[in-house]
Amino acid sequence: MTTTAPIGADADLPAGAPSPGAGDARPPRREDRHRPGTGLLFVLPFLIVFALFLVWPVVHGLWMSFTDTSLAIRDTTFVGFDNYAEAFGDPDVWSSLGNTAVFTLISCVPLVLVALAMALLVHSGLAGQWVWRLAFFAPYLLPVTVVTLIWTWLYQPDLGLGNQLLTTLGLEPVGWLSDEAVTMWAVAALTVWWTVGFNFLLYLSALQSLPSTYDEAAALDGAGAWRRLWSVTLPQLRRTTVLVAMLQILASLKVFDQIYILTKGGPNGSTRPILEYVYDVGFTGYRLGYASAVSYLFFALVIIVSVAQLRFFRKED
Amino acid sequence: MSSSFPARQVRRPREPGPVHGVSRRGILRSGLAGAGALAAAGSLAGCASPASASGASDLNVWDLFQGGDGMLMDEMIEAVSAGPDGFSVERTILDWGPSYYTKLAMSAAGGRASDVAVLHLSRLAGYAPGGLLDPFDLDLLAEFGVSEKDFTPAVWSRTQHAGTVYAIPLDVHPFIVFYDREAADRAGLLDPAGELAPMGSPQAMLDAGKALAEATGGSGILFGHVTDTAQNWRQFAALYAQTGASFTLPDGGPPDIDVDAAVRVVDFMKQLFDGKTNPNNLDYNGAMANFLGGRGGMVMLGEWELPTLKKSGIPLGAAPFPQVFDRPAVYTDSHSFVLPHQKDPDPDRRREAHRYIAQIIKQSLTWASAGHIPAYQPVLAEPGYTALHPQSSYADAGEVAVLDPPNWFVGAGSNFQNRMCQPLQAALMGNASAEKAVRQMIREADTLLRQPNPVA
Repeated sequence: MTTTAPIGADADLPAGAPSPGAGDARPPRREDRHRPGTGLLFVLPFLIVFALFLVWPVVHGLWMSFTDTSLAIRDTTFVGFDNYAEAFGDPDVWSSLGNTAVFTLISCVPLVLVALAMALLVHSGLAGQWVWRLAFFAPYLLPVTVVTLIWTWLYQPDLGLGNQLLTTLGLEPVGWLSDEAVTMWAVAALTVWWTVGFNFLLYLSALQSLPSTYDEAAALDGAGAWRRLWSVTLPQLRRTTVLVAMLQILASLKVFDQIYILTKGGPNGSTRPILEYVYDVGFTGYRLGYASAVSYLFFALVIIVSVAQLRFFRKED
Repeated sequence: MSSSFPARQVRRPREPGPVHGVSRRGILRSGLAGAGALAAAGSLAGCASPASASGASDLNVWDLFQGGDGMLMDEMIEAVSAGPDGFSVERTILDWGPSYYTKLAMSAAGGRASDVAVLHLSRLAGYAPGGLLDPFDLDLLAEFGVSEKDFTPAVWSRTQHAGTVYAIPLDVHPFIVFYDREAADRAGLLDPAGELAPMGSPQAMLDAGKALAEATGGSGILFGHVTDTAQNWRQFAALYAQTGASFTLPDGGPPDIDVDAAVRVVDFMKQLFDGKTNPNNLDYNGAMANFLGGRGGMVMLGEWELPTLKKSGIPLGAAPFPQVFDRPAVYTDSHSFVLPHQKDPDPDRRREAHRYIAQIIKQSLTWASAGHIPAYQPVLAEPGYTALHPQSSYADAGEVAVLDPPNWFVGAGSNFQNRMCQPLQAALMGNASAEKAVRQMIREADTLLRQPNPVA
């Protein structure tokens, strides 16, 4: 434990300096450092919960992925890499991974761009600030079931608002939840509406903390609004964009609930994300061992994506 | 010794809600029970009275009946709880669907399941072979007045695994058609008695759809299947069984399916729901809403929608799923009672469980008011049942009931039904040919068959 305390910090203290308790004005930092157990005690409750509900399941899940564990039967046998071999050859694994990738792609781009646009609009000094902030953020507060229920009705083929609007405009109605080519877009639209408020808030707070001096200087030099946006504001938002994009990609990869409620992965499996496949196999099909193997493959993939992202953004920085 | 006296001593009012673990109420009630036992001054000792048998507690019952069904089940439990031989029941209602079956399997695998649970008969093959269910003692049931002869062969044959009975059916709930009597009359589809006349051929059904569409000025036959995980399969299974072909799922695969018959059926489904006369893009709620709004003359649904439809004020008729191919067949499932596996069952409680199931089944006239067909045949003969309308008009469906082909992965709320529905939906929406849809169904079934059985 003592290594966590910067030893060098002691160097500037004269040898035999009075202890902080002896009426010294210095904050009592040294004492903490020299009683290693104290901090641990405070984080112990967290550590217990962390170990019990995160570390242990992760380790146990890894073990299960090498067995034929069933939800309904006690006996299990070690099957080695059989589950992994099966997963690699399982077309449903690949198709649902593909669906997850497509969803991530078509949801992340608008979730970043729309959030940025909304934040810039609000920051530009629209009248009635609080109305915009509330309106943009409000959907984020709704639970997934409510959001999905609302959108199920919007997407109703002949009663829903979506098709009503299209037919009023003289366009053909769309099978929002039944056309394989459309449904993933419908899911992405719902997701953007529902969650863009969070990214919007991140952008807005970043915008509000930017020093105005650069902008003013550029304006004095004669830069127009677009020029300042491109050359002054956006570069300063770089770090926020990296953060928003990384969080968003991870969130989109983990998509499950809205799809499960809205389409159950249909039509014809075209929106089933990998996590729904894990759920289907593990809980509806009882094959926990195999479901664990699939989820570990996905876990590995998520880690690879995260590390790649980190490298990519760091290089550009 | 008569069981009535001590039973009265310890019988407590039934309370809904979850019961597992020790609740404050549970402790209070145990205390009361203990006081009652003391008051009885030892007369309880050695007495196999129902509720005091294991010194504890009420009969634990799990089911998945919510809404109107749930209220009816409450009524039935109340009825069997009255009187000196009444039961004291702790009912736990769980959300219907895959999650119910996950929980039931887990509780049985742990050996600490409820005394009685409800299971769709179509699910039996996933539960009985793996030892998740305990067998019934038929002699005991006979003692309480329930035996094989009280059920139709079509249903009774599905209660067994390896010759042993694991389930006692409460009802048969077929996939049927509801229709607007006035619209059907205008379309000339009623027989002289005012009931839906038999169809008899695919063409007749197509014509009926056109006639109904004209009569309503909207759609003819409504069917909600988009994003649904069971509806397409129910319809396909009914029509396929009508062709007389067999659909079996032997372990290890491949599935035994008559491809020609299946293609014929899907072709007919596509024709029927062509998107013009009969819409092909409705989801379940959309079909309900259209029928309730008078924008369709007939709707294909489970009979369990009867209470909702009745409330609408539509002059409602109901009929078994129309026969259009060679023989009558109706897709059906059945709520049945099972004894989930207990590691160390108390014989007296087991006896009580048998008695409880026998008593509840005899109450199924109440159950029938929601639209379900009682599986217990003596109830069908009661005048009270024949007076139920339109229930009695599809009561015969139990005779030609067709359930899912047995295997561990099939049945209500299963992956199998979902996987069968998806290609069928694509076909109905016009995104796939009948042949392609059937090929995909066979492929999906084969994939499931080649998986190791996780419950055996």
